[in-house]
Amino acid sequence: MLKNYQTGMFFDEMMNSDATPKAHYDWFYKLVEKFSDQELSEKHETAQLSFLRQGITFTVYNHEGQTERTMPFDFIPIIIPEEEWGRIETGMKQRMKALNLFLEDLYHDQKILEEGIIPRELVENNPYYYHKQIGGVDIPLDNHIFLSGVDLIRDEHGQYRVLEDNLRNPSGMSYVFQNRYVMRQVYPELFFNHDIRTLEHQISELHDTVMSHAPQKCEGDPVAVLLTPGSYNSAYYDHMFLAQQMGIELVEGRDLLVQNDVVYMKTIRGLKRVDIIYRRIDDDFLDPDAFRPDSALGVQGLLQAYKKGNVAILNGIGNGVADDKAMYVYVPDMIRFYLGEEPIIPNVETYFLSDPERLDYVLEHMEELVIKNVGASGGYDMLIGPQSTEEEREDFREKVLENPRQYIAQPTIKLSRAPAYQKGRMYPCHVDLRVFVMNGKEMNVLPGGLSRVALKEGSLVVNSSQGGGGKDTWILRSGGERDA
Amino acid sequence: MLSRTADALYWMGRNTERAENNARVLNVQLIHMLEAKDRNVLDRDWKEVLEICASYSDYMEKYGRLETKTIVEYLTTSPLNMNAMKASMSIARDNARTTRDILPAELWEVLNEFHLDQPGPGEDGDAMMGTKDYLKTLMRTSMTAQGVIESSMSRGVPYTFIKVGKWLERAEKTARILNVICEKERSDKGDVPRNSYYYWLAALRFLNGYDAFIKENPPTMESGQVLDFLIKKETFPRSIAYCVSHVREAITDLEGGEVRHYSTRLFDLLETVEADIHETAIGDMEMEELMTFLDHFQRQCMNLSQVFMETYYLTPPVAVR
Repeated sequence: MLKNYQTGMFFDEMMNSDATPKAHYDWFYKLVEKFSDQELSEKHETAQLSFLRQGITFTVYNHEGQTERTMPFDFIPIIIPEEEWGRIETGMKQRMKALNLFLEDLYHDQKILEEGIIPRELVENNPYYYHKQIGGVDIPLDNHIFLSGVDLIRDEHGQYRVLEDNLRNPSGMSYVFQNRYVMRQVYPELFFNHDIRTLEHQISELHDTVMSHAPQKCEGDPVAVLLTPGSYNSAYYDHMFLAQQMGIELVEGRDLLVQNDVVYMKTIRGLKRVDIIYRRIDDDFLDPDAFRPDSALGVQGLLQAYKKGNVAILNGIGNGVADDKAMYVYVPDMIRFYLGEEPIIPNVETYFLSDPERLDYVLEHMEELVIKNVGASGGYDMLIGPQSTEEEREDFREKVLENPRQYIAQPTIKLSRAPAYQKGRMYPCHVDLRVFVMNGKEMNVLPGGLSRVALKEGSLVVNSSQGGGGKDTWILRSGGERDA
Repeated sequence: MLSRTADALYWMGRNTERAENNARVLNVQLIHMLEAKDRNVLDRDWKEVLEICASYSDYMEKYGRLETKTIVEYLTTSPLNMNAMKASMSIARDNARTTRDILPAELWEVLNEFHLDQPGPGEDGDAMMGTKDYLKTLMRTSMTAQGVIESSMSRGVPYTFIKVGKWLERAEKTARILNVICEKERSDKGDVPRNSYYYWLAALRFLNGYDAFIKENPPTMESGQVLDFLIKKETFPRSIAYCVSHVREAITDLEGGEVRHYSTRLFDLLETVEADIHETAIGDMEMEELMTFLDHFQRQCMNLSQVFMETYYLTPPVAVR
């Protein structure tokens, strides 16, 4: 099936340019060769159905209302040799450590601003900077980032680069587990002769990480809950899965109540105290008293309980200031400033359009660049130069000129690709990797992560809301493969 | 357990039970239709079926006349009927979806599968066959769900709330069916003696109790015997006595055998209802008396649901602001 596979000018995760597999995919390649076309197509069907039957879906909203969709699953895994993974792991820990120190600094002493490493106005103009609400508040373990989902890409040289730090409510961890589960059910043969890092203890790691944030005032065993916006949220499955697996209550805002600055949940036996809230609601909806007064999802008085140290909120409030596309540019500086180290995994080169010289350059080279709104996510409000039409570029030029501060530009990276099997054939698709980092008393990186794939041929957008799919990610133990 | 979760479980139990019961009633009626020759009898039967599964007056307000195809659609999939089977199953699925973190995975999957496999309107060739398949699948789904609950759920709080929902729904439905049948019997009292036989047979079939009944009773369908069976028979799982005593046992377990201040009202009411059942000699009652008893009883059932919900704060909390 892969005989005529073309890697083209891109880095391919699996194949060499001469249509032979890379060493760490050798076994896998041989196993897949044994499948007939019919077997492949039947297994593909079974895998997709299995997601639907189990209701592993996300909700998409469009003009016709809402529909539940599964994230398409592609069976060809992304295989990462353990040594390479080790470097990613160290790089992620380094980055999260620095970002956490940055948040702690920003909401307390602001040394990094005083020393002029980061321009003060960049922080102060950030809509997610909540100094007024939480400046000076001490939180358990001084830890702001309990869970992050860092998006990594590989360029044409195979170099990993950070594309985004998601420090607010990264979703998708449930898919990592479900992809592995379905993969094992439907393609057990493929696991022969592969020694893969297991995901088995990761849920208990996550649970311990949550529990390690118990507020000092908490007596006895802490009670933790997962706060969801509700079953209509697009990531509801993720919320449900994590709450269930960790054995904590899945609550909505209306289930919680604050009395005398203490948070309670409403149970069939009356009120029960809550100590830790793993929230999947954005900051501005958390508490109508402190943020958006029109929020019906939040809990009145929650911020006050947080400030009094009566409840821990994970991820911390105000993380949005550190993971937007403008602050991203300064993360390598943060690593140098706080840790005195050089970044292990580099950024993608990024230009600020507020700089007039850069702006001119970018406007002249729109066809070669990717331009993004610093406040948008999910693949929205961005221009992919090489794939854009003259008209789209014109539209974007106007938007950028109107508010250059709102935009950044990056060179179009030749995102790495991997084969995908869809509709009876194999073809190369662009991929990225979301790595999940948990941090409590200790830091732990989930081995592998969520490989996302842009299944539309030639597309660069991997977001599930825009037709992206998922792949299993294997960390292959040293030696590449076991002997048969 | 969260009140909202308990609420969802309770309504999941009620809605699957409601859909299953209504599907059975409609299924029985569709079979009867094949037997009945008299046009008038047929139309009158539909009135009872509508009264049992939804509301006759609501239907007439919307459609103005009894017409089989319209009624079937109204009872199965019509979005205009809030008690349509599709609506009940859809509520049950939504409830399962929001509580699936504490349910056996298979339970959610069974309800989800029903939702996914439903043919859209007009997709089936033979409408009557399509309806029968639909009803069969629905009843199977409800029974499978029940099987999953019984075979894999711990007998803890979530189990109790699902079951209490189921039993209360059942008790109410049984009372309602008996009420409707009595009303019908009264309205043509003495006209055609054969009708009486036919009505009580229908009542037993609606409640899936025919086989169990004739094992212990003569097949003459004496109204007193049928009523006694459907109201007081402790061993028949759709009798009112069975449902109410199981609710009481489940709540007693839930409370660890104690009556606390917040549950006094609930236990008192249960006691009253049970006493009403046991102390009433149904065989001796005149039709008018019986109707009054059933009316009263149906109200008591609704009352019981209300008090149960209040005791455990199940009335859905109002959104913050």
